[in-house]
Amino acid sequence: MPDHRFRVGDRVRVLEANPSGNPRTPVHLRGKTGTIVELCGTMENPLDHRDVYPPLCKVEFAIREVFGTDSPDKLFADIHEEWLSYADGEPREA
Amino acid sequence: MHDFEAHVQAVDEDLEYYRTKRFEPRVVNTIRRGRITFYDLLSAFQPAATPPQEGDLEQRIRALEDRLDEYVKGIGLTGTSDFVIEDGRKERGDYDEWFRFAKRHPQGTLEERVAALAQELEEQMAVLQAFTAALIENGRLTEQDLAYRRERAQAGPWNGAKIVARAWVDPEFKERLIATGRQAVRELDIPPGRLGKLGVAEDTENVHNVVVCTLCSCYPHDLLGDTPWWYKHDSYKQRIVRDPRGTLREMFDLDLPQSTEIHVHDSTSDIRWMVLPQRPAGTESMSEDQLAELVTRDCLIGVALPGVPAKIA
Repeated sequence: MPDHRFRVGDRVRVLEANPSGNPRTPVHLRGKTGTIVELCGTMENPLDHRDVYPPLCKVEFAIREVFGTDSPDKLFADIHEEWLSYADGEPREA
Repeated sequence: MHDFEAHVQAVDEDLEYYRTKRFEPRVVNTIRRGRITFYDLLSAFQPAATPPQEGDLEQRIRALEDRLDEYVKGIGLTGTSDFVIEDGRKERGDYDEWFRFAKRHPQGTLEERVAALAQELEEQMAVLQAFTAALIENGRLTEQDLAYRRERAQAGPWNGAKIVARAWVDPEFKERLIATGRQAVRELDIPPGRLGKLGVAEDTENVHNVVVCTLCSCYPHDLLGDTPWWYKHDSYKQRIVRDPRGTLREMFDLDLPQSTEIHVHDSTSDIRWMVLPQRPAGTESMSEDQLAELVTRDCLIGVALPGVPAKIA
């Protein structure tokens, strides 16, 4: 299994655009900030995919932050690492 | 049912989808591979009967939905090797309108559209029946295969209920299910399918899970059977991510307390989600089989609780 770039608990921002990446990143999450809650590894999905995609992360978002409503609930999406960046800049190595 | 328009439009769209994506490509490929000929198909053809138009509008729409269900299941029964045709840019008409998969969507009043769709469905059923008959006539399919597949297809939607009931009575199975997904399902003699990884979102005292695919309609349907019509509809997909609490209350009559946090899982194809609902109180003395009867298709999407039937607007 290839290494994950991120760790559980990292704050991440979804890129606004990524033309060469997997197109299956929901539009309403682009540019939004969330937290990694699970590292899913690399998926093999021979029916759907052309190639192996980068590792997949389960990311938690607050609906309040995504849509600007007062919902107390949460949204989860599985997003490939190529679509994610650190929300607070690259972490320093400990 | 109060939104007749949405129901009729869903039948219209689903009929087009299954005809152009699942059925007609299969007929063409079967002919191209020489398994039957076009002549075989025409020889087996019996013209469609005029569909009965009985009852009030709601009953006629329900009849339409039931007939569509038979059509979809009937297509599944004819599969010799399963494939889905990609929804390519070409056939979406991105380059040239001429290539677009086209359908004459019926116009007119709702009553007229229901009647036209009923007629179209009968015609499509006649084509499907001719195709099935031609496959049998040419020894590509036997009556025994059909009976076996019919039985398997009927068992489909209950797979989810069996999985949930076992997880309720066997905590170790539940752990394996959550950790390994499809692997664990094999223990129940259920074919695990292979559409991505199976994600299991477990409800707890304080968390209620609900599943959507905002991009298309991803679902572990090879394992749990087809989704309800509203799962593919924007009225569900767009609302549930934005306002899950209000959507569950208004579309499904499911009013969750403020103390329950709702988690919406947006499937992005690689992981297909199902909800593992909580075992209802007062079911301690029930057997695994009895428990399975409490679990509906809607419970596995998270728009209903076991034992409480969902009400769709």
